[in-house]
Amino acid sequence: MAEIKVEGLSKEFGVGEDRVVALENVNMAVGGHVFVSIVGPSGCGKSTLLNILSGIETPSSGKVTITQDNHDAEPGYVFQAARLLPWRTVMDNLLFVQKDRSDATRARCQKYLEMVQLGDKVDKYPGELSGGMQQRVGIARAFSIEPDVLFMDEPFSHLDAITARSLRRELHEMWVQSKKTVLFVTHDVGEAVELSNRILVFAKGGKLEDDLQIDLPFPRDPAEDDVAVAKAHVLRKFEELDLIAS
Amino acid sequence: MATVTATRPRGQGGLERILKSPTTARVLFPFVVLGVWYLIYYTLDSRIFPNPYEVVEFMWEEVTLTSGVRYSSVAENIYVQFGISLMRLTIGFFLALILGTIIGLAMGISKKVDAFFHDWVMGLLAMPALVYALFLGLALGFTNLGPIVAVVLAGAPFVIINIREGVRNTPKELIDMAHSYDVPQNKITRHVLIPSLMPFFFAAIRYAYAIGWKGLVITEVFASDRGMGWTIKFWYDANRAKGVIGYALFFIIFALALEKLVFDPLAERAFKWRPKIDAVEMAEGDFGGVQREGFLFIEDQEIDEGERMTSMEGDSRDG
Repeated sequence: MAEIKVEGLSKEFGVGEDRVVALENVNMAVGGHVFVSIVGPSGCGKSTLLNILSGIETPSSGKVTITQDNHDAEPGYVFQAARLLPWRTVMDNLLFVQKDRSDATRARCQKYLEMVQLGDKVDKYPGELSGGMQQRVGIARAFSIEPDVLFMDEPFSHLDAITARSLRRELHEMWVQSKKTVLFVTHDVGEAVELSNRILVFAKGGKLEDDLQIDLPFPRDPAEDDVAVAKAHVLRKFEELDLIAS
Repeated sequence: MATVTATRPRGQGGLERILKSPTTARVLFPFVVLGVWYLIYYTLDSRIFPNPYEVVEFMWEEVTLTSGVRYSSVAENIYVQFGISLMRLTIGFFLALILGTIIGLAMGISKKVDAFFHDWVMGLLAMPALVYALFLGLALGFTNLGPIVAVVLAGAPFVIINIREGVRNTPKELIDMAHSYDVPQNKITRHVLIPSLMPFFFAAIRYAYAIGWKGLVITEVFASDRGMGWTIKFWYDANRAKGVIGYALFFIIFALALEKLVFDPLAERAFKWRPKIDAVEMAEGDFGGVQREGFLFIEDQEIDEGERMTSMEGDSRDG
């Protein structure tokens, strides 16, 4: 079982007058087959937290451990933009992050491309695909390494509402089947309520302010009353924490 | 209630489409040049400025070796002269490419190296080819070495600048992505860094080749007793404008042939991943905006292409 432990994590950028605190003394623990959303206003350190967890950035202080059955866990990352190599085909983009190019690896990549309905686009270049399809490739790439934990940084924020909704459903199905631990950054409270078991609320200055449980059965339809009520409840929390700009 | 009427745009007929096509413009250009040429020919003294027929006849005689001219100093024909120049250009071009790539990479990676070379590279870029043509003639005499060094001096600064910009514009977002997946550095170099440098490298090749030719010809005019530049000077001394124009046209024909037969196919192969507008697919029910803005559409604008590449993955780091 994957487990993410964050203890006393802080991150600062710049020095002197330019010093910006992105994260301040963050403590949290996430583990098992859970879908955890991180929500908060712009500039609250959501993406910085994922970048530190995935090793792209180093913390100023504090400790992060990501383990799978007491070993170092392997993370997958889905970015805000798909971040595909434009000069490589869809299949080669998935193979780029694999440890080998064996037939078994290719078959695994093919399986995840079919899960995101792109099984027939393996030889296409990213520039030949729409934005939604590119993001699907990014999701398939993350799942194809069969990671222990999955980090997702506002993966649907660049997409239109209809495409984003369709991808949310696909993502939910993949999470159910794969039983991964998912850490999902979003600024969309509705999206967080639709997908998550837990919502971590961050405030400006990179402080973890609240940890909310969303105990509703899956799959969740945003149009259903209980989902709408849960969303309203989270938004009320935002108001209480003074996170909504007047 | 508002009424929206869909009107079909006035259909462009076949003839109108042909007239407006880039191919027509390309074909039209030589005819315009020919018209202007005849205009000048009839305006100026015909003894000074030859008509196109005379030039073509001269070129044909040179190519078929039927002109009957035997050069006083060397009895060598166009193929020998052209071969000498081409040999000098090829050696100088590859030296400029190797030297320029090494220095450009170092300047792109290290600020100290950049500071060390910067002013000298800019100085070389600004220096007229005539200056080093004369200097090389004085320093090295009428040898092969002078023209070869001229090609290196002319071409290398353009390679350096392009490669340096390429390194500076490496797509950081893609490298971060690779690091997040623990991709080994040699794989990142092969699959991310080198492909991202290719547009800049192609720009460097084209510039080095074109500027190298110019440097070579000027040096051959002043500091050589062989080669195409020397031959142009020969016809200038003989007061035969058709010889000067004819050999200039040989240059143009060769440059265009190299562009179409070598550079274009190489670029086509290297950039086959560039999306074609009609090839962009929209999934059923997928309204996702097509992210074309990050990709390379415009031929022969490699620097712009590289610059665009940096903004290709423009995530807003708002979190």
